[in-house]
Amino acid sequence: MSHDKMMYVHPAPVRVWHWVNAAGFVLLILTGLQIRFAETFTFFTLEDAINIHNYVGFVVIGIYGLWVSYYFGTMKIKLYFPDLRTFIPDVIRQAKYYGYGIFIGEPNPHVMTPDNKFNAMQKKAYLGLMFVFLPAQMITGLFLWRVKKFEDYISLLGGLKIVDTVHVLLFFFFCAFMIVHFYLATLGHSATAHFKAMFTGYEEHH
Amino acid sequence: MNKKNQGNFLIWGAVVLVVLLACGRASLSYAIENTECMDCHGDESLSRLQSEGMKERLYVDFNKFKFSVHNLNSIGCVDCHADIVALNFDNEIPHPAALAPVNCSGCHTEEGDAYKDSVHKKAGGKGISIPCYACHDYHYITHLDSSSVYERENTFCLKCHNPGNYHDWLPQKDVHFSLVECAVCHAPDTSRHVSLRFFDFVQAKFLEGEEFLQALNTDYDGFMGLVDQNNDNVIDLDEFENMVLLLRQKDAIGTFHGEVVVELTPAVHHINKGKANRECEQCHNPNSAFFQQVQISLNKKDGSRAQYQVDRKVLESYYVNHFYALGGTRVRVLDKIGLVLIFGGISVVVVHLSARILTVPTRRRRSKDRRHK
Repeated sequence: MSHDKMMYVHPAPVRVWHWVNAAGFVLLILTGLQIRFAETFTFFTLEDAINIHNYVGFVVIGIYGLWVSYYFGTMKIKLYFPDLRTFIPDVIRQAKYYGYGIFIGEPNPHVMTPDNKFNAMQKKAYLGLMFVFLPAQMITGLFLWRVKKFEDYISLLGGLKIVDTVHVLLFFFFCAFMIVHFYLATLGHSATAHFKAMFTGYEEHH
Repeated sequence: MNKKNQGNFLIWGAVVLVVLLACGRASLSYAIENTECMDCHGDESLSRLQSEGMKERLYVDFNKFKFSVHNLNSIGCVDCHADIVALNFDNEIPHPAALAPVNCSGCHTEEGDAYKDSVHKKAGGKGISIPCYACHDYHYITHLDSSSVYERENTFCLKCHNPGNYHDWLPQKDVHFSLVECAVCHAPDTSRHVSLRFFDFVQAKFLEGEEFLQALNTDYDGFMGLVDQNNDNVIDLDEFENMVLLLRQKDAIGTFHGEVVVELTPAVHHINKGKANRECEQCHNPNSAFFQQVQISLNKKDGSRAQYQVDRKVLESYYVNHFYALGGTRVRVLDKIGLVLIFGGISVVVVHLSARILTVPTRRRRSKDRRHK
């Protein structure tokens, strides 16, 4: 493997954010499952599960701050915004690849570069995740962390159960996302290529 | 009158005299009416100096006493202050100056027994004494059944205790303090229920029992007949939904708030140190006994309440939006949506991965073809 085939696509702050966030998600999912289904899951005591969930929640919020600072500070945030002129054909092309081309060995229509590392479907998915779903999950989590403190906002949103419903539905969504995300990460030129890249920062160019 | 008649007359005379005297003695004690006590104790300035030099107020506000649970049950002053058998108004104080402490457990036997083995009674050995009236007050005891958690706690536990100092382990302690009565955890022998009260958004207040019934155009006796359509004495989810719709039609727009309170049984006095329930799972679990009993509580003017059984499934609905015990009263349909999402994610992976495995020969063949070209 020659060095000129390697592309630096994941800068250090992004990698730190990614893995801290990933570990946080795993812990939040485990403790979240126990908090909701205390009668079924007993990984920890419920008291510990709630405390871990709260602390890890703040770590995830904090590391999201790092992500925002890095991407907006360097203006690399544009990586997440699709080109509206080509967005729809790009999505169709990418969907065709995942739904058919990948099975017959066609090349990925999206070629990753440091300035264009996400394909159209990833841009759409991550834009929603990072700007809507994750902030919504953090805000509802914050409200549920101190119900009394935020009771005015909670009432404004329709009550505790409404806030909890949003948090729980997003929780289930993120559980499903983790499964699919992990699988999609195996679709590189080798099953572990994307995982390695997220540790080293370098993606092998093919 | 002959000697025999004279003898009979004397005997009957003596009998009548004894009966009259007996009646007279009885009338002496029963004759002490509350109004007689109030002749002196209705004076706001009535007080006495205690040995420590402190002034003890002896005034009783009769207007408040009138609505006390004891007066409403025809219990008079001397029924409790039983050592006052006669009033002698020739004296400056018409009864003994030092009266024995009121023995509440004389009537409230079971409460007294439960209290005997409680941390509050045991505190007596440490130089302090906590008699019943330290918590229950002296003369103005009213029904607590319809009181909210705040009212119950302010009247009792918070007089001495500051729970904020002791519950650092408890997540969201302020939420627990405002929605769960202290005794729910601290008197584990007591049964509990969730009490639902209607909060009116327009008037920005909890509706009184009569106001709530007025909105439904019914009364305490007619309420179940109106709401409980299948006559099983339990308001199930559909019936609850219909009741909410009926309220909306009558312009009563609001929501039901829930609180966990104890049944006011004698066992509530049996509170002991270290015996409080500290396992979150006891409550935050859908099988918890804490949520088995759910009631709509409608207060009455005398402080008592009318209670109507509600199916616990109502707690899992969006009609009780401001009461949610994490996990314990969760909305079940969300779990089903969650299962669909998670299994949907797994299915995508399994189907895609299977298709990739099944199409390996195709890719190999095409790869070979490309190399040949």
